[in-house]
Amino acid sequence: MRVKAKLYPKEAARLLREKPGVRDAVTGATLHFEAGRKKAYQEVDAEAWRERAKRVKDHLLTHLDQYLELAEKRLQEKGVQVHWAEDPEEAHRILREIVARRGVRRAVKAKSMLTEELGVNPLLEALGVEVYETDLGEYLIQLLGEPPSHIVGPAIHLALSDIQRLFHSRFGTPLDASPEALAAVARRVLREAFLTAELGISGANFLVAETGTLVLMENEGNIRLATSLPKVHVAFVGIEKLLPRLHDLALFLPLTARAATGQRLSTYVSLIQGPAKEGEEGPEEVHVVLVDHGRTALLHDPEAWEVLRCLRCGACLNACPVYRQTGGHPYGYVYSGPIGAVLDPGLLGLEDTHPLPYASTLCGACYEACPVKIPIPKLLLTWRRRAVEQGLAQGWERAAIQAFSKVMQSPSLYRLFSKGLRGLPLPQDWLPLLRAWTEGRGPLKPSPKPFHQLWQELKE
Amino acid sequence: MEAESRILSRIKHALKERPKALLPEHPHPALSQDPRELLLKRLAENGAEGHLLDEEGVKRLLANLAQGLPGAAYGKGVPAALRLLPELPPEEAPLGVSRALFAVAETGTVALSSEDGRRAQLLPPVHLVLVEEKRVYPSLLEAFLDLKSLPSALGLHSGPSKSADIGQVMVKGVHGPGRLVVAVLQGTW
Repeated sequence: MRVKAKLYPKEAARLLREKPGVRDAVTGATLHFEAGRKKAYQEVDAEAWRERAKRVKDHLLTHLDQYLELAEKRLQEKGVQVHWAEDPEEAHRILREIVARRGVRRAVKAKSMLTEELGVNPLLEALGVEVYETDLGEYLIQLLGEPPSHIVGPAIHLALSDIQRLFHSRFGTPLDASPEALAAVARRVLREAFLTAELGISGANFLVAETGTLVLMENEGNIRLATSLPKVHVAFVGIEKLLPRLHDLALFLPLTARAATGQRLSTYVSLIQGPAKEGEEGPEEVHVVLVDHGRTALLHDPEAWEVLRCLRCGACLNACPVYRQTGGHPYGYVYSGPIGAVLDPGLLGLEDTHPLPYASTLCGACYEACPVKIPIPKLLLTWRRRAVEQGLAQGWERAAIQAFSKVMQSPSLYRLFSKGLRGLPLPQDWLPLLRAWTEGRGPLKPSPKPFHQLWQELKE
Repeated sequence: MEAESRILSRIKHALKERPKALLPEHPHPALSQDPRELLLKRLAENGAEGHLLDEEGVKRLLANLAQGLPGAAYGKGVPAALRLLPELPPEEAPLGVSRALFAVAETGTVALSSEDGRRAQLLPPVHLVLVEEKRVYPSLLEAFLDLKSLPSALGLHSGPSKSADIGQVMVKGVHGPGRLVVAVLQGTW
């Protein structure tokens, strides 16, 4: 996909201005997810779970070559065809070959962030294949022609009224149709697609090396259908998605579900070993495409490699006060929110993504939420430091920080500036730096009392 | 093949200097509660219905569910004595009946094998799952450690199909069954 991360500050400001409803929809949804996660973490020894999960992933990542070779062997033993792709072009070639060989005209897709990375839908459309996203949220944004706004809830930026209008124009449903009625329409369209598609496409939450098991988590049943009904199933799997042992799932399934949606377990978990056996229902062919697309480069990075532990649960997005303002679109790439801010520079390079590490208040909520303890705030600072070192950060930033540091180190300068600044009128376009802020919000008002006076009063 | 060797050699190179992390063991949970009781409780919390029944009880439950229905779709493992309705293809059946490989109490889950048949598990709007009481595991860990072999696909079902993607309102039966009924069968059958 086209990366638009460089536009982050402008796009965020534009979205706040032009679609103020998005903030309400995203805030409502993320606060709901966040409350669910907090409650679900309280039920268990979350700290011990997170620590254990982190250690399992670190073991896996420091032995990744061995586990990938083991996974490939186990998959092949079960009759799964294993492919490797370094980049989207190689992944496209593999998929094109399957589409041509099997005469695929229609495909049903399960939600997958990796297929977003690879641009699977545009490729299939170019090949003349009808593609149906079958996750309800993903189907909504496919109808709108938008990318996902959240790793777990791709359509959380849409209000009910947006969807009512969309279905009214597409399917002629009444403008006040209930969510049940809208879901019934989608179910009817997609059920037909499931029963007629020649190809099912999915990602994977995990790939267990010991048994060669593809693991997929969901709540709707669309993944079970997409991997059961079509004659061919192709799963795209990031090489970092492995787990060593089958019983590691006893930790990772409930931990991911709790972090993502506050559930003890997601409603459906598919454990797929291979194509259907003689006399059994299910696909005749199962393909696993192991994809690099920047992951080995990230593994090589002595500081940033820890981000490869990520389970794509979206908990850090839900906890993030910055993400909450706009949802995922302004981040300009598949992965948004705090994880996007540290993963995207690692996968794509800092040059194309460097405003993203600044899309955070460094409040630490993302780290608290993360089920595998990725030190996101530390990594944000790492990427910011590199942006300065590589001359990517704007010149005024370095100058401003140097000036700020001077002022903060001298009590007399500090008093002088704080007095002077509080006395200044602040018109809307006072500084070009502040325009992005003031365009989406009310005017800035200085506090009537200086900070050190407020602090003194608070102490008394 | 070429991509594989390039990727693997890059990984080996990246890991050359990195200290190896040890693989931790997972502690065994000691569940004091009767797993059957907990399973029924957790199923209810997941929005499913659970019953602990003898063979007569299952027949009554089936007769109840079958009222007014023209037929049902059956998994291979469903015994003949419990096939009370004429068999219909899963695409048309208003009720699917499956026999689970096992169940997990702590999460309120039934595990369904592809060997039993996938369509009956997914296409009908109501899904009745039969599971023997001796196949109820207290925890996921115990179930996974005990699995000797895996079918082509194993589905863990922990409630009815649901989605909150439309305006954050929970809707049931989006793609899969909107109603999940689990019968835990007493004794052997």
